[in-house]
Amino acid sequence: MFFYYLDLAWRSIKKTPFLSLLMVLAISIGIGITITTLNIYKMASVNPAGERSSSLFAVQLMSQDPDTWENLSKQITYQDAFNLLDSEVPVRQAAMFRTGLAVQTDDVNFSPILEGVRVTGGDFFGLFKVPFLYGGPWSKQVDKEGGYKVVINEDINNKAFGGGNNVGKTLLLNRKPYQVVGITKTWHPSPKYYDVNNGAFNDSEQIYVPFSLAPIEEFESWGNNNSWRHEDIRTYQDRLNSEMHWVHYWAELTNPAMQQEYKEWLVRYVEQQKALGRFKRPDAKGEVSDVATWLAYNKVVPEDNKVLVGLSVLFLIVCLVNMLGLLLAKFLKRAPEVGVRRAIGASRLQIFSQHLVEVGLIGFCGGALGLLWAWGALSLLSSRFDLEGSLSQLDSSMWFIAPIIAVSAAIIAGIYPAWRICSTNPSIYLKSQ
Amino acid sequence: MFQVKPIISMLMRNKSGPLLLLIQIILSVAIVANASFIISERIGMMSRESGIVEAEVFDFTIYNFDENIEAETQPLQDLDIIRQLDGVKGATLTSMTPLSGGGWSSNFSYGSSEEDSKSAPNAAIYYSDEQFIPTLGLNLIEGRNFYPDEINAGGPELASLAIVSAQFAKDTFGDESALGRVMYRGNIGQQPMTIIGVVEKLQSAWVDNDNLELSIILNVKLTSSFNRLLVRADENAIVGLKEAIPAALHKENPNRVVRGFTTISEHRTSIYRNHELMASVLSLMVVLLLLITSLGLAGMVMFNIERRTKQIGTRRALGAKKRDIVSFFLVENYLLCLIGGGLGGLIAVQLGQQLMTLYSLPKLELIYPIITVAGLLVLTTVAVILPARKAAKISPAIATRSV
Amino acid sequence: MLSMKNINKVFKTDLVETHALRDFNLDVEEGEFVAVTGPSGSGKTTFLNIAGLLEGFTHGDFFLDGVNISNLSDNKSAAIRNEKIGFIFQGFNLIPDLNLAENVEVPLRYRGFNAKERKIRVERALEQVGLAARMKHLPTQLSGGQQQRVAIARALAGEPRFLLADEPTGNLDSLMARQVMELLEDINKAGTTIIMVTHDAELARRAQRNIQIVDGQVCDFTMYQGEQGSVAQGQSVADVAAAEVVTVASSVA
Repeated sequence: MFFYYLDLAWRSIKKTPFLSLLMVLAISIGIGITITTLNIYKMASVNPAGERSSSLFAVQLMSQDPDTWENLSKQITYQDAFNLLDSEVPVRQAAMFRTGLAVQTDDVNFSPILEGVRVTGGDFFGLFKVPFLYGGPWSKQVDKEGGYKVVINEDINNKAFGGGNNVGKTLLLNRKPYQVVGITKTWHPSPKYYDVNNGAFNDSEQIYVPFSLAPIEEFESWGNNNSWRHEDIRTYQDRLNSEMHWVHYWAELTNPAMQQEYKEWLVRYVEQQKALGRFKRPDAKGEVSDVATWLAYNKVVPEDNKVLVGLSVLFLIVCLVNMLGLLLAKFLKRAPEVGVRRAIGASRLQIFSQHLVEVGLIGFCGGALGLLWAWGALSLLSSRFDLEGSLSQLDSSMWFIAPIIAVSAAIIAGIYPAWRICSTNPSIYLKSQ
Repeated sequence: MFQVKPIISMLMRNKSGPLLLLIQIILSVAIVANASFIISERIGMMSRESGIVEAEVFDFTIYNFDENIEAETQPLQDLDIIRQLDGVKGATLTSMTPLSGGGWSSNFSYGSSEEDSKSAPNAAIYYSDEQFIPTLGLNLIEGRNFYPDEINAGGPELASLAIVSAQFAKDTFGDESALGRVMYRGNIGQQPMTIIGVVEKLQSAWVDNDNLELSIILNVKLTSSFNRLLVRADENAIVGLKEAIPAALHKENPNRVVRGFTTISEHRTSIYRNHELMASVLSLMVVLLLLITSLGLAGMVMFNIERRTKQIGTRRALGAKKRDIVSFFLVENYLLCLIGGGLGGLIAVQLGQQLMTLYSLPKLELIYPIITVAGLLVLTTVAVILPARKAAKISPAIATRSV
Repeated sequence: MLSMKNINKVFKTDLVETHALRDFNLDVEEGEFVAVTGPSGSGKTTFLNIAGLLEGFTHGDFFLDGVNISNLSDNKSAAIRNEKIGFIFQGFNLIPDLNLAENVEVPLRYRGFNAKERKIRVERALEQVGLAARMKHLPTQLSGGQQQRVAIARALAGEPRFLLADEPTGNLDSLMARQVMELLEDINKAGTTIIMVTHDAELARRAQRNIQIVDGQVCDFTMYQGEQGSVAQGQSVADVAAAEVVTVASSVA
């Protein structure tokens, strides 16, 4: 019967091409806009840590004085980061910040490039599950004592060495030789949750150097540097000793017991620092947030996005109400025909199904066309507004979501007209034409 | 002449059709009013002028990774090299670029003693030299520019003189002149900085904060391996300079990275991109929504006419003029629009309230729902008149036919 | 085959209560050709709608084939309409978007026959009414009489036990009316019970049995004993009418 209904639906659509087109257009535009905004929203709100989300924790410390900042800062001071590394509770932990270094190779013809560099610990790669192509992170010893080791990604490997396994070779960073210990696959978590300050949807850094080298090499900070009080910072050592917040800190705490233990450790740390004259606020504390909480806290999904999704859903509702009105008119006009069908032996359910199939078909066409709109809109937006690539791609799930939303929305809109038409008394339409 | 009463009773009898139109109008008004309000708010933000000749000024960075490069003198040499290039009108070293999205800001304090210490509003801090004002083409309205020998090279702690934006002067000192006032970094007495000039307008690097117009220029050339330069040049020469500047600088010393040539106009485009995106998507939404609503309305009117053919014929037979038939449909439409518009306006205000509390959006101004309803009246008039004219052509003879 | 006992049908609106049928009693035997007449508003249509299971009734008993069909579910009454009843309307009521074969196929679709079975039955039904050659035509391409023959084919395709005809010739000129009437008589001879509502007394006289409905009640039974005589009389009237039509047609031409 389904195919019979489909055939009837198709005839009906063909019979009133203007009206059908109007309905398909209305629903497709509604779907197009909804899918576009939903896609941007979904891409922005995806939790890239996946199942590790609940065991990875960003660490924050309220080290500022009273009457300065009211809230926890997203970053911590260097000295706190240095001290936190002493904790033996987390499975893995890493302090990190972003810098930039000039990259050169032994090849004199290779013109220097300036690259974003992540200064961090060897645990970084395990924490965030960075996939390695060759080699691996530097040793714990490098983390303790410092050492000119570097991990690069595929792209830099290709640019600097022309690809292949180049573990052991030398890369010049700011004219200093670093030994390549690992080459990672291209890895771009989106959003870049471990450091949302420097553009949550920017590409991640392609080069990693040990955090323990920071005091020696005096890497500049390319991220946010926030001070809650004035300090005379003249040398790099001043900066390391300062109360400036500029370092991100992440710890892996695999179970609730460990999380509790770490929180207690932080309480003791704060007490210890208070004894040393720091952390003067009465509510000074340490805080850990898992990835989902962290992304929400940092408002990674722009508010505009949420407003757009909300408005576009309202828009879709308008399209559906519009469609509902047109369907009602269209179906009621067909009442005499339905009367004949009823007399000939069609049950209410069969009439109802016939009309829902027609509505579903319109919805499906609208959904397909809407996907096309969404795809067009996203391409247009990304070229016009230089949207970050990860935001403008049509997520594969939308290929299912769009028709499903379209068909179910259309059917919701069609239920009332279909019910109206199947519940009218057939006899009144039979007497005369 | 307008038969409002029979229309109302007809609308009441035939509930579902008009009710649906009503819902559609209500929602459309609510959405369109809020969307157009957000659009105009964003356009308002984007049209704030920076006071800079934006197309003539560009910035770029030099990263000196050669340790032998003298951080203090190298930028001066570089500036000299650049000034000698064709088309360059001025060049300066700065800690940040207006509208670029990144840079320094600070709260200075002022007052006569620690007891009556006040905090000046958070303002963007430009560390630069006497060339900053001419290079950006700023308008000095009070006091004077720095003299070349007043510029210190080194760290932020060397700042002693300040030129502030007029907005900063007004927000901090009110109607009193800012000239000669002293600000401190930290406590009162710590690193005094005297205000020697006021510029009419200088924007910060961030456009989403309230302090966009609050800026301070300090008399320090920061020494660093990382230098940001601002250059003003003939608009036509800029493309060539993007090649000529790195070439000239590399000739002097190849151990540096010169990159990031961006004009202020380009910075503007990129920093307002999200707002432009929002405004564009919303505009598209408004246009499509109005289109769909009026097409839907036209469709409904067409159906109604078909359904009421006999009734219209009868009316015509009873002496209704063509004009009466058209006005019948129009009055019906206006009734729906006004009721829907009224309710839609209420919902729009509610929606605006929600958006305001949930998100950092300002309060919806009442004029927007009103304009929306007015616009809807005009638009639907067109959408109704076209099919209604067809209805008016229905022959009165149809009434006598017993179909 | 069809038995109505004390059927009452009351229409209620806010202001008035109308008795469309009042203690209505009727028995129709298998193979009968019954004509139902009566003035407008007498309850003819209500009777037909109830007999055709298109409408319910307020109280009373209605047996079809010995089965009590009072208060059937929509699904069941739809199935009975589909299997046992064929409808023929004054306005033909063919579905304009469907061609002849598809129109005839409609009841078969709802009965759930497979494609092959449908095809056989459609062809047989259209042959029976003499329109097999025009299967792919749309209703609008046919004359009124042809359309009504298609409607009859549609009613016959499901091989119903009885036909309900509502003014089957009301929209037809007399020549076509006669053809349709003859077709109905042939069908009746083949064994299908027919109940025909009409206000045409001549036409009614051709049926085996006449019933008159007045004010919602069966008023008068007239059994025609002399079947031969009545048919002959009917034919002569129809002949005269046909001759008139031809004259008119030729004068127009």
